Amino acid sequence: MRVSTGDRQIPPQGLRARWQALTSRWLERRAPAARTVTLSHRKLFILPSRAGLGFLLVILLLWLLGTNYENNLVFALAFLLVSLFAVLPVHTFANLSGLTLRLLAAPPTFAGDYARARLAVSRSGHRLREHIEIAWPPEDGAQLDLVDAESAEVEVALPVNRRGRVRAPRLRVQSRYPLGLFRCWSHVDLDIEFLVYPAPRDPGSLPLGATAGEGRSPERRRGGDDFAGLRPYQPGHSLRHVAWKQFAGGRDLHSKEYDTGADTRLWLDWDLLAGRDVETRLSGLCHWVLEAERAQIPYGLRLPGTSLEPSLGESQRQRALLALAEFPVQGVE
Amino acid sequence: MSRPEQLLPRESLLWIFAAQFTVLLPHFARLPLWIVLGWLIAVLWRFEVYRGRREFPGRLVKLLAVAVAVGGLALSYRRWFALEPMVALLAVSFALKNLELLSRRDAFLSLLLAYFVAATLFVFEQTIPYALYGVLATAVVTAALAAQLGGFSARPRRAFGLSLRLLAQSVPLMLLLFVVMPRLEPLWAVPQNSGGASTGISDSMTPGDFTRLSKSDQPALRIAFDGPVPPPEQRYWRGLVYSHFDGRRWSQGFGVDPREGARVSWRENEQPLPEVGPRYRYRVIQEPTRNQWLFAMARPHSETDGVGETGDDRLVRSIPVYSRFAYDVRSWPRSSLTPSSVLGDFERRRNLQLPAEGNPQARAWARRLAEEHGDGDSISAAVLAFFNRSFTYTLKPPALGADSVDEFLFESQQGFCEHFAGSYVFMMRAAGIPARVVAGYQGGEWVEQEEYLLVRQYDAHAWAEIWTPARGWQRVDPTAAVSPERIRDGLQTAAAEEFMEDALLPLHRISVLNRLRLEWDMINYRWYQTVVSFDSDSQQNLLQRVLGEVSPLRLAILLLVPAGVGLVLLLAWLWWTGRGARLPRAQRLYLRFCRRMARAGIPRRQGEAPRDYAARVASEAPRLAAMAAAVTAAYERAAYAEEPAAERQLARLLRQWRLTATSPVASATATPGLDSGGTQA
Repeated sequence: MRVSTGDRQIPPQGLRARWQALTSRWLERRAPAARTVTLSHRKLFILPSRAGLGFLLVILLLWLLGTNYENNLVFALAFLLVSLFAVLPVHTFANLSGLTLRLLAAPPTFAGDYARARLAVSRSGHRLREHIEIAWPPEDGAQLDLVDAESAEVEVALPVNRRGRVRAPRLRVQSRYPLGLFRCWSHVDLDIEFLVYPAPRDPGSLPLGATAGEGRSPERRRGGDDFAGLRPYQPGHSLRHVAWKQFAGGRDLHSKEYDTGADTRLWLDWDLLAGRDVETRLSGLCHWVLEAERAQIPYGLRLPGTSLEPSLGESQRQRALLALAEFPVQGVE
Repeated sequence: MSRPEQLLPRESLLWIFAAQFTVLLPHFARLPLWIVLGWLIAVLWRFEVYRGRREFPGRLVKLLAVAVAVGGLALSYRRWFALEPMVALLAVSFALKNLELLSRRDAFLSLLLAYFVAATLFVFEQTIPYALYGVLATAVVTAALAAQLGGFSARPRRAFGLSLRLLAQSVPLMLLLFVVMPRLEPLWAVPQNSGGASTGISDSMTPGDFTRLSKSDQPALRIAFDGPVPPPEQRYWRGLVYSHFDGRRWSQGFGVDPREGARVSWRENEQPLPEVGPRYRYRVIQEPTRNQWLFAMARPHSETDGVGETGDDRLVRSIPVYSRFAYDVRSWPRSSLTPSSVLGDFERRRNLQLPAEGNPQARAWARRLAEEHGDGDSISAAVLAFFNRSFTYTLKPPALGADSVDEFLFESQQGFCEHFAGSYVFMMRAAGIPARVVAGYQGGEWVEQEEYLLVRQYDAHAWAEIWTPARGWQRVDPTAAVSPERIRDGLQTAAAEEFMEDALLPLHRISVLNRLRLEWDMINYRWYQTVVSFDSDSQQNLLQRVLGEVSPLRLAILLLVPAGVGLVLLLAWLWWTGRGARLPRAQRLYLRFCRRMARAGIPRRQGEAPRDYAARVASEAPRLAAMAAAVTAAYERAAYAEEPAAERQLARLLRQWRLTATSPVASATATPGLDSGGTQA
């Protein structure tokens, strides 16, 4: 399930959006997504930078100076700068051409944080490569020189706000080497997809000994003698089971639940966070997962449609967080 | 204002300051001292900001700085529309920009301005040393630009090396553009470089002026002839005519100086040209004098733009000669002109003018001569004979008192050309013969290799012209009567003992140095001829020589062929420097095998071992099995056991496969024999 790819299917609104869609489709054809991308003339674009336009203005002024003073040395300088301007793009282009980018890892992250992709950048041949910027604009990204080494690893960060599988936009690889008067760039799709967990948000302390939900686990039977936890009062609940003590303490009206066959294990249950919106619930569960891991308490996870048996450790954590991340956007109710 | 990472690092700042210093250094001599100091203060301030010891100046301080700068400029320069104040303004804004050098953008702005400041240098000077300095300045500014990227590029050697490499690569295109790009007429009038004192001959002559010039060996004119070269005794380069004498000073007088409204014919053919062809055609390259007058032989005509002729047979320019100026001249001998048998009343009065009193002895003698001889030619001959009898030509004449002519003629009898010319004209006028002093250069050094005449300041000379009804104006050189060698061989021979005596080092006596100086002058001449004075005419000529005929097609060829060659070279360079390390031969051969197999429909999978691949080929296309097995076996032996023989066999297998290429079946049947060949090897 790709969360962000949904955007592309929506018919674009307005000229700007339509233009973006058009260019992105064109780029798609020209520079398709791949884990390893070697930059070539098919993928590289080059234009004068703003400083380059200023440079052209200076050349124009020099030409005027030379014409009005009929001064050949000023002309010579103007022509030298024109020639320099003609030579520069070759160097700027050569600085990026033949550069190979490879995705090493795109570890999962939490929403609201930066997703960091590790890339290997390597050059072919003995030409030095300098001042290469790799970024997801408008972020600053990473900058590297390939002077002494043939290849280098860089980490590029992308801020992610939504949980789920986030497909990274195209990376911008650009360079202004050697004089900053030209900007050569490529938009590279390294087929990077981040797994983004919900942002952990504290919903209260771990629900130790509390439980909610009805008939989720076959081995539990409701209505026994053991107190199992509280659940929000709903009409039809037995008044005998209303938690008056808690109600007197200022909390909402709850019903006490009783189980037989006491299940003392920690269940991080979707229903424990009832009354909030889907994302907040997921964030709360995420926080609890991390808390439980930190406290080394085995935990199980119950989501509508999914259930993880209580356990502890890295694989449990990953499975739990994955389940939270991939929880459908629309939720259930 | 700027994001933190865009703040300028130390290397950036240092490079910017270095670039500013380089482009401003030659201007320092011309700029008022306070601008130089202001720049220094701005740089130091900015550096203190970098070191955290000081804040960027506040708005008030900046306003104050601008106010001080404007006031200073107003005080230092009274005229605004001139070159110097413009350059000073540029330098000031350049200096003040340092006080707000914050971001990358500011750095770029400052460096782009630096290119422009470097160019203004050439407006003042176009000599070879300045041109070389300009190249250096451009290289430094470019290096500073490269260093703005920071990191590896900011290392001095790297940045400077990169800059030199880039500029070197730009030179071919620059030369092409220089030759091909059309030159337009000036689009609007610009302020000229009017600073500095005028050099060379001035608009008046007092005793001692020419002795001062005789101490300078600066070049004044370079003259290249198209056709015959005049003999030394004819080389009189007239520049000025002095017709007014106030008892001590000879000056142009009213109505002679074009600045005072004298009639100058600027357009062609205003004065009728003689029927006969000109005697001499030549091109004069004049060093800047900051004066309007030009130098040419008698009865000149020039078709160069902005050059006009005066009534007294001289050439003047519409604007002062602020930088080297070249003009083409044709000269006719005076005798070819229809003799103007009548001298206008005004002209006659002007050329007979004398102060009301003074020099009684000279006047009395002149009257006597006039009574004895009558006509101008014999009076002139008598005066010259008198000079010839007892006068000495010297660079160190004694000082003269109030009646300078009397004292010179009858007491000291030692003098330089100005004394002879001045007193001769005085005598002639006193005798009633219209006469005038002419100043200019006489002689020149013939530079054999380049075939031009080099005239130096010490060739400055003054002589006379008298008017006779029979022949009109004619030249008389009183100095020649005293010292014929001055006219024939130049000052150096005529006054050998005294020549350049005051020079700090008597360099002119060392012949090697003299030759070197001449060589240097030749290079300068060449430089001026080919580069500085390259205009649309020379452009047309050059293109005509290169292309045969200047047509758009040929021009396009001239531009596109080198551009194409350059592009091919660049692509070759890209390929050469970008190609990866070469794989070992065995591997290359094996990869070729894999490609062929892929064409046959069985591509090798990612990371598939050769042996597995061969097995898969055998199962999917049994007819290729033998071939694949043979190749794989040879490859394994060649790659892992590094057997040269196996490598050769691999090559042979692939070659033979190609021979039978289109039919893989044939190649497959051929393999057993090849296999045995492999074992033999």
